[in-house]
This record gives sequence, structure tokens and C-alpha cells, in this order.
Amino acid sequence: MRELELYFGPQHLGMVGNFSITLNVEGDRILKATANPGYLHRGFEKLMEGRTWIKNFPMVCRINVVEPDHMEMVYAMGVEKLAGIEVPERAQFVRSIYLELARVGSHLFGLWAYANMLGFDTVANWAMYHRDLVLDLFEELTGGRVYHIYIWPGGVRRDFPEGFTDRMVETLHSIGGCVPDYDSTFFNNTLFSERAKGIGVVSREEAVAMGGTGQAIRATGMKYDVRKVDPYAAYDKVAWEVHTREDADAYSRIWIVRDEMIESVHMIFNLIDAMPEGEVYNRIPNPLKWRIPAGETYVRCESSRGELGLYLVSDGGEKPYRVHFRTPSYSHGLTILEKALVGANIADVGNIMISLYVVAPEIDR
Amino acid sequence: MTSSLSTRLDATFKGVELGSGDDDRLAVSIPREAVVPVLTFLKEEGYDYLQLISCVDWIDRGEFELVYLLSFYTEDEVGGDGGKQDVLLKTTVPREQASAPTAIGVFAIAEPHEREIHELYGIHFEGHPRLTPLLLDRDYEIPPFRKDFDTKQYVADVFDRVPPVEEEG
Amino acid sequence: MDRNQLMKWIKTPTKMAHKYSLNAVYFCTGCGIIEVPPTITTRWDAERFGVVATATPRHANLFLITGYVSVKTLRAIIRTYEQMPEPKYTVGFGSCTINGGMYWDSYNTINQLDKYIPVDGYIAGCMPRPEAIFIAVTHLWTLIDKDMADGYKRYRKNYGAYRANQEMVLGELEWPPLFPTEIHTNTGEGETDATAATPTMTEREKDDELA
Repeated sequence: MRELELYFGPQHLGMVGNFSITLNVEGDRILKATANPGYLHRGFEKLMEGRTWIKNFPMVCRINVVEPDHMEMVYAMGVEKLAGIEVPERAQFVRSIYLELARVGSHLFGLWAYANMLGFDTVANWAMYHRDLVLDLFEELTGGRVYHIYIWPGGVRRDFPEGFTDRMVETLHSIGGCVPDYDSTFFNNTLFSERAKGIGVVSREEAVAMGGTGQAIRATGMKYDVRKVDPYAAYDKVAWEVHTREDADAYSRIWIVRDEMIESVHMIFNLIDAMPEGEVYNRIPNPLKWRIPAGETYVRCESSRGELGLYLVSDGGEKPYRVHFRTPSYSHGLTILEKALVGANIADVGNIMISLYVVAPEIDR
Repeated sequence: MTSSLSTRLDATFKGVELGSGDDDRLAVSIPREAVVPVLTFLKEEGYDYLQLISCVDWIDRGEFELVYLLSFYTEDEVGGDGGKQDVLLKTTVPREQASAPTAIGVFAIAEPHEREIHELYGIHFEGHPRLTPLLLDRDYEIPPFRKDFDTKQYVADVFDRVPPVEEEG
Repeated sequence: MDRNQLMKWIKTPTKMAHKYSLNAVYFCTGCGIIEVPPTITTRWDAERFGVVATATPRHANLFLITGYVSVKTLRAIIRTYEQMPEPKYTVGFGSCTINGGMYWDSYNTINQLDKYIPVDGYIAGCMPRPEAIFIAVTHLWTLIDKDMADGYKRYRKNYGAYRANQEMVLGELEWPPLFPTEIHTNTGEGETDATAATPTMTEREKDDELA
């Protein structure tokens, strides 16, 4: 059969985000896939070199629109480490709760994308509706639906408002009450398992060789989670588990998403119970004239896609000298995706891509 | 464990400079030629996870610094593998005719990182199979992430120069 | 439906039909796309306003340009826009399309979208809320009613200038001009000769992309 070149994206219904893959296909089978990123390249790291440390907080969250909160967190961690700022204990808990809430929102968005792509419109609508309820919480807390800029060096911008935790628990309960519905309609549905089992297998060796993290590595049975391996915020203060699966396919990865979401909700409840009283931020020097001692650091946190790292260099000036984000989608979307697509059907491109949780702006930055 | 790794590194390779990074990372400076052997050595030591390859343009010193951040996959909780440190491997590349050996043979994930550095800093990686543009669509005279590339000037020269379309003739 | 609306339907049926069936092309050009899924799903339900997402630009008449436009995306945007049949409406979503927003000094994002393709309206903010999309849509209705949403006519009229601007940033474009590039005085009659303005079907490879 004749070999054809097929452009998949950027304007394509099966493509989530502004991303493009060039597929070499024979009939319906993919022989070779070439990822073609760069549609969203804004040169963030260059722009950040031209802005002061504090001015970069509105910038970083825009790198990954699906979960801006982890971006804020990793940048704040880097700045705190270089400047030697301590974070009060309560702020650590507030940060953890906030990040787990963001993880739930991000996973619901991922579930929307995945269900939508498989044609489960009802589930997709539910997921998006439930994500909106989470966004309402964020809006109450920070004033913004999508970009929050809540985490600052030295803590968080403000404490939880009066009664916020109760409302949060109520919302999470109402979402959690729908888990049986999700399970019966989607996760235990034969259509889902038929479409996803054995699709997009990334073995442990491949995942390790290509820097896979997050669901990509946990679907191979490895309990690798930065929150456990290199704990930050308040993740070592409460008990929780890392969820893994063994089959390394799209089915396993989406199940991990579901399990993680439930785990996050439980973790939020535990964190609320264990949260101490106190201040939520330590004062930092005048941010407009803030100089950070020269040095370099690499900090990392676990975003909902995998390891999110930041390599930050300061030359002692008012602005960062070099900022480099290690984003999980970078390895998932370029090397692993190119590998996983070979031999798959055209219809499964979106399936594999979304189950790997590839978000284009993270790759391009 | 850690001290033995640094001593073994020192014993095996010439020109290795050990330092302590800002934090709990082992900082290692090596000459450019030793990048691939040292990475291979570290991989055999259990550093199977290349987190990032970064590049810093130290324009005052007239050189680029390539930074390899190495870690390892572990299932251990809190504290990792008996105090085994992550490694920060550094090498310098002169700014003129910048070129470095590719690390793809050791870590497959090096491929897009090196491609990106080639595009944004103009460092050539010897032996890299596809140094094609990754992110950019235009040609830039100076690779845009170099410190001497003035992005504001570029915007003024290119995008601001485009005239608005006359709506009413 | 009040009497006034009924008279409108009888007098200008095409206009009313365009107004209430805005098919937005499914193209995530920037981070503004994050607010589009909530808008088209149950919580906000854009279908109340006749807005639905459409897979292919050839079936679409509303182009929401969601956020910053990088140089590489601009190429895709122009190709998508030129494939849409007339009448077509463009809405710039978010501050970045107006003046570059946060990325005003980025070497890879064009700052003003309306230098390259005509824009009928903007939604300011970063990120605009779903309500802002509805306000934009209802405002677009008014513009359509008053024949003021004439971006596609302006594109045809000033095609030479637009094309020149596009080529200034993108280099020589690899597809043929959609319209004669010299400025001609016939401004086009809008809906009536929409078929004549369908893009030339020389873009075979683009069709593959949509397969």
C-alpha cells in the first residue's frame, strides 16, 4: 500500500491544543510520527530574564494554562531556595491544599478531553461542569478563574476566607458523590476498555530511557512521585498513597488519573484536619528592588502530568539570569509520543496523546 | 556512597572539578570532551534519569555553560536511596563556533533538549541526527536566547514596522 | 418571538440565519482555549446563543482567535481563515490579540492581530470569562444586524495590503493569493456572492490535514 504523509493538526478535531504531528501512514497504520511543536512558543524564559523576580509571577502561570498553580509553585520554590526564605507552616498546608485542588481541576480537564475524544459526551460534560465548580472555589479564594497568582515567595497571598474550607469540602463531596456515576458510565464501560486497553503501550524501559514521569511511569508499576521522593510543601505531613497500574497502556493511565483524583480529595480532607494556625506568609524585602544572591538551583514538584522542574540561575541581580523549565509534556509529547504512535491507528492518535497528558504550551513555553 | 562516587569520578576522569552545589546536589565540572564518558559512567552508577539539559549564556566570560541535571528513578519514600545525591554536571563551550558532543547515545531524552539548545543558542551538537528547527518558524540572525539578542529591539524592527491596514481608502 | 423579530426574519432571513448559527472553528490558537470548553459545555452552554464548535473551517463562520498568536500559528490562522466560506466573523479573544498583552516584547508573537487578518471585535482581558464570550456574541449579533461585521469584506477589499503584511512577517507565502492582490473597487455584495468567494481549491495538502 502506498505510504502517505498526513498532517495531524494544528487545526484538527482530534487535537487538543495547538500542536501538530506529521504522520507517515500506510492505510490506517502509522509508520512514523514526527511531532512538530512550536505553535505556542513565546520565549518565556527569555522574557523572564527581562523582568524582575516578582514580575515573573504573572508570567510563569501562563506557561501551562491547564494548571497554572504548579507553575507558580515551582517558581516560588526556586526563588525561596535562592533567596533563603522560609515558608510558615500554615502556608505549606495552604499550598498543598491549593495544589491538590488544582490537580483535581486539571485531571477533570484531562478527563473531559479524553472522554470527548472517545465520544463519551455525557461524561465530558460532567467533567467540565465539575471542573467549573472547582474553578468557583479558586475564584472565591483568589479572584481569578484560570490564572490565580496565589503563591508568592514566602507563602501565599492571603489566608483562606471565613468558611472557605467548609465550602470546599462541600463541593468536593458533591463531586465525589458522582464517582459511582463516572465509574458506571465511563471507567467500567466496555467501550472504554475496548478502546484503551493495549493502546499506546510505553514499557518501563522506554519510559525510563525517555524521561517519562507522572502517569506515564506510574502506569508501568513504578511508584515514582516527586511528592514522595522529594517532598515539598506539606506532603510529608499527611498519609497518602501513590497509585500505580501494571499494563502501561492508555487504559492504565486514565485509571491512574481517576485514582489520583480521589486520592487528592482525601488528601485535602486530611490536610484540612491537620492544618495548624498561624501566619500564611513571611515578609520579603521590597519586591521592586529585590536582589537575590548569586547561585543556581534545580527545584521540582509533581504537577498533574509528571515532574515539573525549574533550573534557576541568579547572578545577584534584580532579574533572573536564566530560567529553564523542565516540563513533563516535553518528554511525553516529543520523544515518548513519537515512539508510542508507531504501529497505532490514526484513530488512536488523540487517544494516546491525551492519555499521555500532553499539553502543547508546556512543550513550547 | 556519595564521597565514593566523587572519588571514583575524580580517579576515573581527568579534569573533573567537584564542588558542592547550592543544595544537596553534587556539582561536577568537566571538560567538554568528557561529557559522554562521564554521562555513561554516571548512568552505570544508577543515574538513569536525565532531568534536563540546560544552557546558560555567560556573555561576560565569553562562553556557554551546558548543564546536565541527573537523577534516578526510585520507589523509596522520603530521602531517596540512602542519601544518594542528584548530580549537576557542567561543561563550558566557547561562544564562537560553539559545538558540543551529543548525549543521545546515553540518554534518548537528550534529543529534543539538544535540538532546542541548538535552535535557541546556536550550539552545534556533533552526531545529532536531526538538528532541524523545533520551535521557531523564522530565521533569527542571532539565536534568540543568547544574551546579546535584544528582544525589544527585534519587536520594534519586525512586528511594529508592519503598518496597519488602511480601512477606509 | 416578538413581532419585531418576526419582521426581521421575513425581511432579512440570511442575516438572521447567520446571526443565530455561529459555528466556531475548532482551533486552539492560544491559552484562551481553556475557557472555551466550559463555555460550550453544560455550565455555560453556548448553544443557547447558537454557538457550536465545528470541526472544519469549511463549515464554520466564526473564528475565535483565543489568545496570543505566534508567528508559526499566524500561518495556520491565515490558512484557516481563508478556507472559511463568507460571510465569516473573527473575534479576538484576550488582550494578546489586541496589543500583544503580556508578550508585547516577545520575539515570536505578533502583537496586533488586525494587521494580518481583519477582526470584527475583541474581548479584552486575560483570561476573559465565559460571560464575556456571550457579551461578545450578542454584540456581534448587533454588528451583523447593522452590517458592521464586515471584516470579510474588508479582507477582500484590502487583500493586497493584508497579504503584504503577512508576507512581511512570514516571508513569501507558499499558497496562491485568495483574491487579486491589486486593490479593486468592487467591495463585494456580502452574502449574495458568497460562493464566488470560496477559497480556491488548490490547497490539496490542507485537505489532507482535515481528513
